[in-house]
This record gives sequence, C-alpha cells and structure tokens, in this order.
Amino acid sequence: MIFQSHLLSMTVYAFFVSVVLSLIRREDPKSRLKYGLSLFLIMVVGALAFGWFMYLFAR
Amino acid sequence: MAVSFIFLNSKAMKAYFCLLAGWLVPGLGHILQKKIWRGAVFFVSILALTAIGLSMGGRVYPFQTENPLTILAFFADLGNLVVYALARTLAFGQGSLERVTFEFGTAYIAGAGLLNYLIAIDAYDIAKGKKR
Repeated sequence: MIFQSHLLSMTVYAFFVSVVLSLIRREDPKSRLKYGLSLFLIMVVGALAFGWFMYLFAR
Repeated sequence: MAVSFIFLNSKAMKAYFCLLAGWLVPGLGHILQKKIWRGAVFFVSILALTAIGLSMGGRVYPFQTENPLTILAFFADLGNLVVYALARTLAFGQGSLERVTFEFGTAYIAGAGLLNYLIAIDAYDIAKGKKR
C-alpha cells in the first residue's frame, strides 16, 4: 500500500495536475513554469489552509 | 501539418483523428503532430496518476444506475479509454473499500481520465490550427 499519508497523496496529485494544465493552458516555457507553480501552490496551500479552517469547527 | 496520412486529407479529419488518438492513448494526439516532448509528458503524467490510483486500491467505475453519482465517476474514468477497457476486460480496478487509500486512489483514476479529455481536446485544437 503506498501513500498512506493524505498530505503526500494530495501533493503528488497537485503536481501532476499542475504539470498537465500548465502545458495545456500556456504557450511559452516561462509562463508555463509560473502558471504551473501558481496552480501547485494554490492547490496545496489552499487545501492546508482550508483544513486548518475546518479545524475551528471540530467537535 | 505534421500528420500525413493518405486517408486523412482534410484538416477537420486530421483534427478528429488526433482527438481520437489522444483519447485512446494519452499524448498520442500530440506525438502525431510532432509535439513529442509534450506528448511524452502527458503520457507519463496520466500513466503515473492511473498507476498510483490503481495501486492505492482505487475503483474504475462501470456504468450503473443504482447510485446516480457513480455515473459521473464512470464518465470521468472513460476519459482514459484504454485503461477503462482493460479494467473491464481484465477485471482490475475493482476497488478495495477496506483500504484507507481507496478514496484517494479513486480520485487519482478519475482525475487522470478528466485530464485526458483536456489533453485530447488540446490535440484537436492544435490540429485545427487554433493553438501552437
């Protein structure tokens, strides 16, 4: 069984999605890198931030 | 146009052929248009997502009407046509509900299918001349 950690699973998933979408949505290498990195950070940091936000409402 | 098949003499036919090729094998629509590097990255990414998803015990959903939400998962999985067909014929991707990674594995497989739809449409757009 691999990826017992949900954080690692999420990070790897975000990486592949960012790579594919940056190649589809942007034309030149520089903007691809910028777009891919932004997407990756939005997905990972956003999920972590939302996770901590939900922690406020934990029983 | 890099694709030079005798039977594909119109631009529209070539575009549809690239769409179909990209749907069948991730990245093939790009490779046929000499976008080798991009096609290879797409192929590796989709294959990795699918392989990781399957090894995590994710499920490839068949078409079933008992639970309507799984119809959406079916269409997502269908994006990766070859994997879907192999999963149905060779009976893998049945899903292991008891594993903690089941949900994430299923999300990996569905995500790979949805991304492959985008990749195939991108190949179509390139063949049509809408993109580089």
